[in-house]
Amino acid sequence: MDIPGESKQRVATRLTAIQVAVALVFGGLAIGFWYLQIVEHARFEELAENNHQRRLALRAPRGVLYDRDGRVLVENRESFSISIVREHTKDLDRTTNLLARVLAIDVARVRETVERHRRDPAYQPIVIVDDASLAQVAAVTARRLDFELPDVVVERVPARRYPTDALAAHLFGYVGEASDAQADNARIRSGAIVGQSGIERSYNLDLMGEDGAKLVVVNSVGREMRTLDEVPPVGGNRLQLTIDYDVQKAVEDGFRASGFNGAAVLLDPANGEVLAFASVPGYDPNAFASGINRATWSALNADQFKPLQNRAIQGRYSPGSVFKMAVAVAALEEDVVTPYHKIFCGGGQNFFGRVFKCHKKGGHGFVDMRQAIKESCDVYFYTVGNMVGVDHINKWATALGLGVKSGIDLPNETQGLVPSTAWKRERHKEKWYAGETISVSIGQGQVSVTPISLAVYMATLANGGTRVTPHVVRAVDAGDGWKPRAAPPPQSVTRFDPDKLQAIRDGLWMVVNDGGTGRRARIDGKDVAGKTGTAQVISNEGRLAARNTTRDLHDHGWFSFFAPRDNPQIAGVVFLEHGYHSANAASVAHHALETFFAKKDGRPLPPAPTREDLNLDLSDPMDRRVPALARPAQEATRVRPADAVTARAQ
Amino acid sequence: MFERRLYHHIDWLMVVALAVLCLLGLTQIYSATGGPTRVYTTQIYGILLGLVAFGVCLSVDYRTLADKSHWIYLGVLVLLGYVLLFGAVRGGSRRWIDLGLFNLQPSEFAKAALALMLAKHFGEGRRGVATRTDLLIGGAITVLPLVLISQQPDLGTAVTLIPVFLAVAYLAGMPLRIFGVLALAGVLMAPIAWKFALQDYQKERISTFLDPSQDAKGAGYQQIQARITVGSGGLWGKGFTKGTQGQLRFLPVAHNDFIFSVLAEEQGFAGVLVALGLYLFVIVRGIASARLAKDRLGAYLVLGVLAAFSFQVIYNITMSAGLAPVKGLTLPLMSYGGSSMIATLAGFGLILNVRMRRFTN
Repeated sequence: MDIPGESKQRVATRLTAIQVAVALVFGGLAIGFWYLQIVEHARFEELAENNHQRRLALRAPRGVLYDRDGRVLVENRESFSISIVREHTKDLDRTTNLLARVLAIDVARVRETVERHRRDPAYQPIVIVDDASLAQVAAVTARRLDFELPDVVVERVPARRYPTDALAAHLFGYVGEASDAQADNARIRSGAIVGQSGIERSYNLDLMGEDGAKLVVVNSVGREMRTLDEVPPVGGNRLQLTIDYDVQKAVEDGFRASGFNGAAVLLDPANGEVLAFASVPGYDPNAFASGINRATWSALNADQFKPLQNRAIQGRYSPGSVFKMAVAVAALEEDVVTPYHKIFCGGGQNFFGRVFKCHKKGGHGFVDMRQAIKESCDVYFYTVGNMVGVDHINKWATALGLGVKSGIDLPNETQGLVPSTAWKRERHKEKWYAGETISVSIGQGQVSVTPISLAVYMATLANGGTRVTPHVVRAVDAGDGWKPRAAPPPQSVTRFDPDKLQAIRDGLWMVVNDGGTGRRARIDGKDVAGKTGTAQVISNEGRLAARNTTRDLHDHGWFSFFAPRDNPQIAGVVFLEHGYHSANAASVAHHALETFFAKKDGRPLPPAPTREDLNLDLSDPMDRRVPALARPAQEATRVRPADAVTARAQ
Repeated sequence: MFERRLYHHIDWLMVVALAVLCLLGLTQIYSATGGPTRVYTTQIYGILLGLVAFGVCLSVDYRTLADKSHWIYLGVLVLLGYVLLFGAVRGGSRRWIDLGLFNLQPSEFAKAALALMLAKHFGEGRRGVATRTDLLIGGAITVLPLVLISQQPDLGTAVTLIPVFLAVAYLAGMPLRIFGVLALAGVLMAPIAWKFALQDYQKERISTFLDPSQDAKGAGYQQIQARITVGSGGLWGKGFTKGTQGQLRFLPVAHNDFIFSVLAEEQGFAGVLVALGLYLFVIVRGIASARLAKDRLGAYLVLGVLAAFSFQVIYNITMSAGLAPVKGLTLPLMSYGGSSMIATLAGFGLILNVRMRRFTN
């Protein structure tokens, strides 16, 4: 350098100083990177993976339900759920407000939902809308593409598809989010969709399958870029039900045409397979398929007709005359009478100082067992019931399936009641009065039954003493082909004397085929055997008093049956709530039976009946009702409150 | 102008190192932007234009350039003024002149122009040691463009001018105690600057640097992500275009401010050492050129250019590891940016110019 020596020396020194300083800084940088990339590598690698890898649940479709012929009854459809993933949220308020606006839903509800899941991990989607409409999906997707809602995801999830006409709604049940108590099960995590009633609930573990998982790479705004690993979901087991779609539909068509509410259960008396199962009014289980909204839920609960109640297994009603066969069996099996023993009916009879009337004013004259059943003669059954005693009635009614649970594979079955001296002692700490037995003998008083138990009762009469366990599932396919599911063992087997039983069957046959009250259920060549019964909703006097209420106070109608008499293939019961007359129930049963036999014989199925076809009898039975107690016709009958729901014999 | 024998004195090692760094940057831009995008091709044009600027700055004798440095300096000031008045606005600041084909960023050229101007100013002094008057005038020369640039606002680039002045002044013999006084003044001024001079977003960046987790989604996000990006690279890296942080955009402006993070993620600690080594080589080799310079002017010029370069390299690399507050300072030679590439290569043209002409008169 041509520069003065002193300054040259200084420049050189200072350049060296700078050089050293730069080298030191670079050394420091190298150490910094070494620390981050080598020493702390594992920690940062994990952070990087958490950054961009997500484990997403793949909801397993629930098992498909088929009818006994392989027809699909309940299947799955694809639905869309819209969720917020807070992990990618910058401003939760902005997201909730914008999302509520885009989806046209209440922002307070969105906030509440988010608040409820506040403690969940931030990467777990919070579902805001289940089963979103296509318009909602489109609106959200468009805004996602604009990066306006990067923290909102649209997921495809399978949802249940039930028949649209609420067919067998109570049988299938519905699904819903698992409660905390249900989530205790190792297979059910919180928030999972599980069966909440019906088959969906009792066969939940079969149906729900196993959720899969997908490990995906997402970018910084949460968009899925590619899939790293995928465990596909395993769909739930397919179930073949014992239900026959055509018979089921026939039953519901009958109810629809009649306009009445009620319940019906039709069984195969040989093994307890349920062929049809109805509770009316139904509800639309599709409303529950992906989270029911609060308004629908409250409406269903507030409905005066209680559509959510499964009347077939949860409704307890007074059986009326259909109970008489239990008294008949007790009397015959306990050898109190023979089938040919005749009893005189003069239109009423005095027991323990009180006159009990027959429904037929002039009386039936001398009747034996067959005729008594055919005519439903009250005096005959008062007499034999009194002879055999309430405890024997209880014993044989139980053997036939009344007053006990049927053991059907559906949740929340209730139990009917057939009173006994022991029961009264225990329950009311009171002695049984012999007079009470008289009411019990015609299915009144404390006696109550569920429709399912009456169906079992008819099946037991039909098959000669085997109290079959009703069940709704025939076969299961867990992915390796259909495997029959063994019928559950009978609840009890009693050997009835066939000769004695035959008298009862003959009586039942005559009810339908020999000008009895069940004649509307008659089918040529099929020897339908059956029995009608009427359950009085309110006493005549109560009804007069309650004239101005809007409550429906018309009687309930029963028709219980099996057919054919000598080789029964079907047994069951039709119950019409406020159905005026039991004959109307026989009309509904007739259509179901006709369909069943037409199908069996390969004949074309009868078309759905119209209201006219059913030829309903809507006359007011009060006009010709005979007071239960023998009093002058003008005088008001005093009735105990317990009798507010009693039965009237026919 | 360009004599044949000068050709033999070109620092070819330096040229190779610069070329390798440019290519390294280009490949990482390719990776970060996901293929041969417009960003990638623009960068290639930037390198080609930079080579032209490099050639020009190499060919013209630096003494001739120094003689004209006040015109160059004035020209840059005019451009900076023009930018403030008519510049194109992007991301809230006015830094660019829209030339249609591409945007010119005059502040990038201010660094080399300032180095030239200061070199001439301090190199011309009769005595070997800079006087206080020299220092004051030098300071004034520095402050003018600094103020203009900081008004854009572009505090990062503005601050880059300070090392240019300090380095040249240091080499020109500024007493060490003045450094002490400046440092003390800086410490005392810091709270005042914090209160009055810094914008809110700048304060936020500094405070989140001290504790990134206080705002993990906002300002601290980039810093946390930068550390994750670098740390997850490990020894050998995730492989070219296999980085997740950069590829999936967890790291913002990966092709620009955080290009070195992308390199660290994909090429690992090994790649980092290579890049660091290349930069260190370029800087040390540059300092050696200053040592070899024929005159004080040359030495000052080289160091002035190197000071801005080194400051930016060190700051950016520190930042890319999440070890410094996030600031819009690019990594010279590697980051995406045409103006930066052209100005940087022009600057190295000057450095090689000085070295090449160490034997001429």
